[in-house]
Formats: sequence, structure tokens, C-alpha cells
Amino acid sequence: MNVAPNNQIPNSQGLVKGMHEQEVEIAPGTLFDAEEMVINMGPQHPSTHGVLRVILKLDGETVRDLDCDIGYLHRGVEKIAEHDTYAMITPYWDRLDYVAAVSNDLCYVGGVEKLLGVEVPRRAEYLRVILTELQRIASHLLWLGTHAIDIGAVTVLLYAFREREEILKIFEDFIGARLTAHAFRIGGLWWDAYPEFDKRVRDFLKILPGRIDEYETLLNANRIWLSRTVGIGILPADEAINLSLTGPVLRGSGVNYDLRKAQPYSAYPEFDFEIPLGENGDTYDRYLVRMAEIRQSIRIIEQALDGLPEGPVMAKVPKVIKPPVGEVYFSIEAPKGEIGVYLVSDGTTKPYRMRIRPPAFINLQSLRRLSIGHLVADVVALIGTIDIVLGEVDR
Amino acid sequence: MMIDECGTERQSVLRSSIINSQFINHQFNMLGILTTLMFVAPEWVRRWTKEPRGNAFWAEFVLWPLIQILLVLFIVLTIVAYLVYLERKVSAFIQARLGPMRVGPWGLLQPAADGLKLLLKEDIIPLKADKAVFQIAPIISVVSALVVLAVIPWGAAWATIANINIGLLFVLAVSSVGVLGLVLAGWSSNSKYSLLGALRSSAQMVSYEIGMGLSIIGALMFARTLSMSGIIDAQQADGVWYVFFQPIGFLVYMVSALGETNRAPFDLPEAESELVAGYHTEYSGFRWALFFMAEYTGMIVTSAIAVTLFLGGWQFPGLNLITNKTVFAFVSIGVFAAKILVLIYLYMWFRWTWPRYRYDQLMDLGWKWMIPAGLANIVLTGIWYVLALPKSQGGLWGFMALKGDRLVPTKWGIAYFVATGFAVTIPIIWIVLASINRRSRDFNLHAQRQLQIKLRAERLQRHSEPAGESAS
Amino acid sequence: MPAVKTTIGRRTLGEVIKRLLLFDLFKGLFVTFSYNWRALYEKREGGNPNQAIYTEQYPLERPRVSERFRGAPRLNLDPETGQTLCIACDLCALACPVDCIEVGSIRREVREGEKVNKKKVLTTFVFDTSRCMFCNLCSEACPTDCLELTQSFELAVYHRSGFRWDREMLEKGIDYVRYAK
Repeated sequence: MNVAPNNQIPNSQGLVKGMHEQEVEIAPGTLFDAEEMVINMGPQHPSTHGVLRVILKLDGETVRDLDCDIGYLHRGVEKIAEHDTYAMITPYWDRLDYVAAVSNDLCYVGGVEKLLGVEVPRRAEYLRVILTELQRIASHLLWLGTHAIDIGAVTVLLYAFREREEILKIFEDFIGARLTAHAFRIGGLWWDAYPEFDKRVRDFLKILPGRIDEYETLLNANRIWLSRTVGIGILPADEAINLSLTGPVLRGSGVNYDLRKAQPYSAYPEFDFEIPLGENGDTYDRYLVRMAEIRQSIRIIEQALDGLPEGPVMAKVPKVIKPPVGEVYFSIEAPKGEIGVYLVSDGTTKPYRMRIRPPAFINLQSLRRLSIGHLVADVVALIGTIDIVLGEVDR
Repeated sequence: MMIDECGTERQSVLRSSIINSQFINHQFNMLGILTTLMFVAPEWVRRWTKEPRGNAFWAEFVLWPLIQILLVLFIVLTIVAYLVYLERKVSAFIQARLGPMRVGPWGLLQPAADGLKLLLKEDIIPLKADKAVFQIAPIISVVSALVVLAVIPWGAAWATIANINIGLLFVLAVSSVGVLGLVLAGWSSNSKYSLLGALRSSAQMVSYEIGMGLSIIGALMFARTLSMSGIIDAQQADGVWYVFFQPIGFLVYMVSALGETNRAPFDLPEAESELVAGYHTEYSGFRWALFFMAEYTGMIVTSAIAVTLFLGGWQFPGLNLITNKTVFAFVSIGVFAAKILVLIYLYMWFRWTWPRYRYDQLMDLGWKWMIPAGLANIVLTGIWYVLALPKSQGGLWGFMALKGDRLVPTKWGIAYFVATGFAVTIPIIWIVLASINRRSRDFNLHAQRQLQIKLRAERLQRHSEPAGESAS
Repeated sequence: MPAVKTTIGRRTLGEVIKRLLLFDLFKGLFVTFSYNWRALYEKREGGNPNQAIYTEQYPLERPRVSERFRGAPRLNLDPETGQTLCIACDLCALACPVDCIEVGSIRREVREGEKVNKKKVLTTFVFDTSRCMFCNLCSEACPTDCLELTQSFELAVYHRSGFRWDREMLEKGIDYVRYAK
């Protein structure tokens, strides 16, 4: 069989040379022998969610191959951490997954507390759960909006952002910042809940389910939405596990793995909630899983507010944090999947090594597997469904 | 001054920008002429028409059309600017926002500010672009959209510029030239995104034009004329808007019109989340604005055709009570505009509610649903029509009567056509299409394509083996 | 564990009819139209999630800034004496993850009543707001409640040098140009 000569492919700086073999070799002189087009999606593209660069090899509009080029937002957080004291590293964690800063903080702070062997007060644990679950809702709402706008439903974005704004207002009142929260300190929280906190959160939880129904009216049964998501990017459970995916992307494929249940941390064992699972592992299932997770988060927050214990919010932690020599791995269920921290302490005030397990980075590797054979328009939907944040991918 | 290896190129860009500035000045002169004409022209007309020699040629075929053209252009382009404003406001209100609020009260001067900004912006032409084509493409696009305005019956009596007897054909013919502008724009930009956008748009517009052409034939059977004013008069004579005779025709027309004007959910050529901006990715300044103008003018034109063909044009129950001819003409223009606005609001409403179709699904919808539905509608309408002919012409029940030189349905005839249109045609077409497209959900473009590639490669190999190198 | 309802399985007859009648599309249209309709007649109040229009028109309507908000830095003065509260202990500079604080001090004899003590006295204080990530660690480290992150949030300046706030600016705050329109 004849093979299209490689030099016919418009090569963009030799970047596609390392790409993989074609599925079917194309004979010259046929209808389909047109050169494959290499197209750069990003880093300045409206729907790559930041500065992701996707190099697409297109046959017409069908994706033959795909390569992700990352690193445009690399700051070297892991290296910076080796030069800062334990307390100083927390704000950097806000800037990993900057749409779910509170969850990141919980991971890091939990890791240091595990290293120190500090017992966090129960009130602080409850407040942490409330804030983290609110952050999960906010992150999923942002994901919903951007995913919908990628598929063309612009209005959902604005609705989702309106509800997210309410969460950010609650954060601003509680933590003092909206996006990069710096929510938790090692040993607990800096501030206790403000007087109206309970009422504000309950008010918000009262309107939220109706609003979710509204989004679902716009999307769930809509035939255009269905035709754009059902059967797109099917990922079987075994492949999802092999790719070491976590979070809703994994659960959309039907794998019941959620760290809140599988490896409970903080106050999660005390709450009653369910883990929504998908069946087909396609884009639509991942969408449904996330929407169901928002509803479960509402349940958790309501329980936590009902059972919020009294007491201090800060454990007795020395001013200068000097953990004993040792190493620790601590991970939590962030909105995007398992975010983990591996800390090596050499007994000084600064960590010897800090390694981050970034969920979005690891989930992103499934993009190639998902999108080969689909159309360009589906690639956009698939980038959306993986729910990446480049701050975390590039670190 | 910096001199680099592209110095010559820069110079030519500079030169072209000088030419462009002259072009803009020329436009300003045109504006002056336009205003002069608007104020002075009526006087001229009176003088020319009252000429003792009775030579009304100039007045009838040159001056009066010229005034009408300039008036319509001026009004339509202003409306286009305010349609953008309307779109922004409608989208804002749908999305819990306020929209433009800062320029003028409630942002009412926003279109003027935008227009001024676009005029003053630098006209960037990519270095590797095909300059001539790149410059011509938006003009083709906007001209083909504007020319159609000539035959649209904006109102009763004098409000149509050219009442030609093949009006509808003219509209379809000229508006299909618009796709050329998009293709040229996409090709000449020398950008992959533009090219993909242009490919998509050409395929989309060509296929949806077929559906559009098929959908209007049913209404034309009743009107028995292609003249736009004639169609409106026919609806008046029949005493009913053709949307009631032709519900499927109207539906297919509206969907095809959405596809034809590249509006959501069929806005693939410029799907910003996939192709950045599609065919006009590389355009900026006023050239980009021309594309924008073409899009919104296209919206007006397609809505106007829908109003003319299906919604009774400038007619409205009770409008005949006005006896004063001038007042009647103005009111009729108002009615026509109101009907267009309702349709345009529908366009906007759809756009801000629904997601976007994928390219292959769009083609699916066009070829598997719209075109068969249009065809089936023609056949069924023909059958109902023949059955309703007067008994003398072979009809069964004689639901139509000869009035003057045209067939007009009687009262029972109207009821019969409405009933068949809604109660028989819709279910039949719906069921037929649903059953023939039942398996279309299993249709996998990727698998089909892989199969074809494989088969073709095998065939080619078979052919080339005995002949050696002579395979072509 | 419960699985979410997916599209597996055949549609019921009702669903098929609904689909043929385009119910799914009309439902969405109804939602958006109700918003559009409410936006036309409802009285508007910025930032109220229960209303059809959520927009706050920022320069016209000032946003509500919470008490704990971490914005522009400020060096507090002693309300009685008008002297700075800062004791030049340098803890804030040490706590800062991005090294945006520079504290300058000299050792000097200070008369307190009748005694004369040698004491560290603040001379300069430079705060680089362009590098600051408003994490509040400096304010938490401050033993005298001197350095504080306040509620003012409009920190944009026309020149990079404007981001370096000196002691005077930190004590008085910068002059904002408040846009009325």
C-alpha cells in the first residue's frame, strides 16, 4: 500500500514529527489523498481553557492525531516550595487550580498537619468541609459554563457564573478573598465563621437547586446538546483506570472511586452522601455526574451546617513550624480529581521536597485517546469535559 | 525608522492604506451627495414630472429609484446598526445582564460609537494574504446582501424599489452569490482557521439553499406568481396568509434561513469556540464590519422573504380601513417592519438559547430532514391543490373558484387547505422522515470514512498492480 | 452506589412524542424568554441573585466589600499619639512568600519618660503591591496590629513605579480618582 510521503504534511516547526502512526495509510491519487492539515489550537484560542496548545492533525475535519503542548504557565511551584517555610507555601497552592483554590489549600494544609501530627479542632474540620464543598460547587459551575459555551450554549455560562458569584461573595466574607483564597492555615482556620455565615449559605443553598434545574432544562434533554455529547469521547472503565484518571472523568466511566469515601479525610466520614456514577463513559455521562455531584455537595453542606460544633477553629501549632524528619503523602478529592501532596521534611523549617499530584495534568493525557477519530468541534467539547485548569497542568 | 527585510512589503501596505483612506474620503463624499439628494430630490422630482413635454422617463427610471435606493440603504444600514444593539440587549436580558449602558441613555448611541471605532481602526491585511481578493471579498458579501433589498416590497404602493416579475428568483439568485464572498475571504486570508470556516460555510450555504428553494414552492403554487408584490396581493385575494396553508413550508424555510444566514444553532462557519472567528478571522476594521453588515442584512432579507411569502407581507386585518393613501403606505411599511422584527427576535432568541450543531449533524439536518421535507411538501401540496380544483377543471369537490383570471379558494377551500396542511401534511411528513431517518443515529461518519478510504486504497492497488507504475 | 440516569435503553412512547413535537427545544426557549420578559419590567437591583438582571454597574454602584477583604496595605498609626505602631521587627518581611516588603530601621536613643532607651526605630517601609499576592501572612505575623490589608481594592496605576508604596503612602493611603460616571 502506498503511503503519503511525510514531507507533504505542512510541518509546523517539526513539532508533529514525534507523533504516532496514522490509523489508515492513504494512497495518493485517491479522493482522500489530500494532505493532512496541521492546525494549532491555542495557546491563544478561545476554548482551550487557558494557554493549552493542541496540535491537531486533521483529515478534512476529522482528527487523525493530536498532541498537547503544555508549559506556557509553568512557574516551578515545586521548586519555589523548597525555599519557603511551610506556612509561606499555602498561597502558592491557591494558584495551582485557581478555580478551586480552597480545595487545594485543604490538600496542602492537610499534608503538613499529617506530617506534624496535629489534631485539627472539629469545628475547623466542619468549616473546612463546608468551604471545600462550596468550592466544589463553584468549580463545577465554572466547568458547566465553559463546557456549555464551547458547545455553543452561551446563556448557561452567564447563569452559572451568577451562582458562582454568590459563592465567591460568601468566600469573600469568610476568607477575605474571592479567587485565590488562602483559606486555611496549618492547624485550622485563621478566622471563625462570621455571624451571618450560616444564614448566607442556607439562603444560597435554597436557590441553588432551582437554578440547577434551570440549567438542566436548557441542556439535559435538548437534542442539540444530546447530539453533541452522547457517544462523544467514550472512555471504558478499564482504560480510564489505566490512564490513572481520577475525579468525575473516572466516575463518568462507572468506576466508583471517590477519595471522600475510599480514603476518608477531614470530617467526611460523618456525612451521608452518595457518589454519582456514569454508565457509558461519554461526555454526556460526565456532564450528568458533575451535575449530580453539585446536588450531593448541597446535601453535605446542609448536614455540616446542621451539625456545626462549637469550639476553637485553630489547633495549638507552634509559630515556627518544624516538622520531624519524615515524608508524607496526603490527597483529597478536589473537584477535578485526586489532588495530592508528597512532602519530604528534613527537620528544618522548609520542606526538602514537595511534589504535587495534579489531577488535571493527569486527566489531560486522556485527550488524545478521546479525540482521535472525532471532529474538530468534538475536540473542543472534549477539552471541556476533561475540565482542565492550566495553572495546575503547568504548575 | 526601522527597516527590516520586509521593508518593501511594509511600503505596499502603507500605500494600500493610503488608497484606502482615499476610498473612505470618497465614501464621505457619497454621504454628502446622499444628504443633498435626500433634501433636494423631491423638488427635482416634481419639476421633472411636471415637465410640459411629458418626458417622465428620467423621473420614473432614474431619479425616483435613485432616491428610493439611497433611502432604503440609509434606513436599512441604520437598522442594521441598531439590530446589533438589539441583539446585544436581547442577549443581555436573556442572560441576566444589562448590555451596553454607557454610551448615551441605555447605551443607545453604542452603534454610532462602534461604527466610528470600526471606521477609524487600522485596516490590517496579512502579509501573505492574496491582497486583491482579500479586499474584494467583503464587498462581494455585502453587495450581494444589499442588492436583494431592491425587490423587497417594503410597503404598499410606492415603497418597493423594483417590482420585477421574477422577484423571488432574483432574491434567491443574488443572495446565493454571498457565499462567494465568504469562500474568497476564507481562501485569501491564507489562514487555516479561515479556510476551514470558508469550507464549512460554502457547504452549509449551498445545501441549505436547496432546502430554502424547495420550501417556497408550495406557497408559490397558491400565489402563481414570482413577483413579490404579486405574492402579497395573492394572499390578500385568497384571504389567508400562506403560513396556514404551508406550515411545513414555513418551518423548513425558517430553519433553512437560519442555516443560510449562518445564525445559531447553525453558526458553524464562525463558531468562535472552534474556529476562532471562521472566515473573517483575519479581518479587522471596516472590512470586518462589512461582513457583519452582510450578516445582519441577510437576516433582514430572509425575514422579509418569509414575511412576504408566508405572513401576508404588509397586510394586516383591519388595515384596509385606512383611506388616506399616504397614511396607508406608511402604516403598511410599519406593519412589514414589525413582522420582520418579530422574526428577527426569534432568530436572536434561538441563538441565545440553544447549543450549536456539529458540522456533520448540520449537514444531516439539511440533507436528511429539510430537503426531503421540502420535496414531500411540494408533492403533497400539489395533490391537495389538484384535488381542490374547480369541478370544471377536474377537481373533486370544487373548493376553488375562478375569480377574474386566477383561482381563489372558497370559504370551504380555505378550511380544506388549512386542515390538510396541518392535520395531514405535517403528520405524514413527520412520520415518513422519522422512519427513513430512524437509523441515522447509528450513522458514524468516522467509521464510514475509514471504510471508504480502505476500499479505495484496495481498489487502487488492484488497478495499479498489473499496469506497474502507470497508476494515475 | 447510584448511577446517574443516562440515555441507555429505549425511549418510551411519551418521550418519542415529546421529541417529535420539539418539546426539549421549547422548554429551553421558555426559560430564556421568561428571563427576557422579567428583565423588561422588574425593578433592578445590582447583585441580587433572585432578580432577572444580576449586573452591578461597577463605577456607578460601589460594590459591597466585606470586612475581612484583603486589599491595599496600610500601616496603622497609634490613634492617641499619631506615631506609627510599627516597631521595625521585620517579621512581616520574613513572613512574606514573595519578598515584597522591605523594612528599614536604625537603632536610636528614644526618650520614654525619664529613661533613655536604645531602640529600633522605623525609617523606611517599602511595599511592592505589584508582587504582593494578598495572602495576609504579613498582617498575621505583625505583633502590633500595625500592618493591615484594608478594603480598598482599586490598585491600578498608570506606571509601574506606582506599585512601590513607601511609608507615607502606606500610612495615608493613595489618592484614588473616583470615577463618578
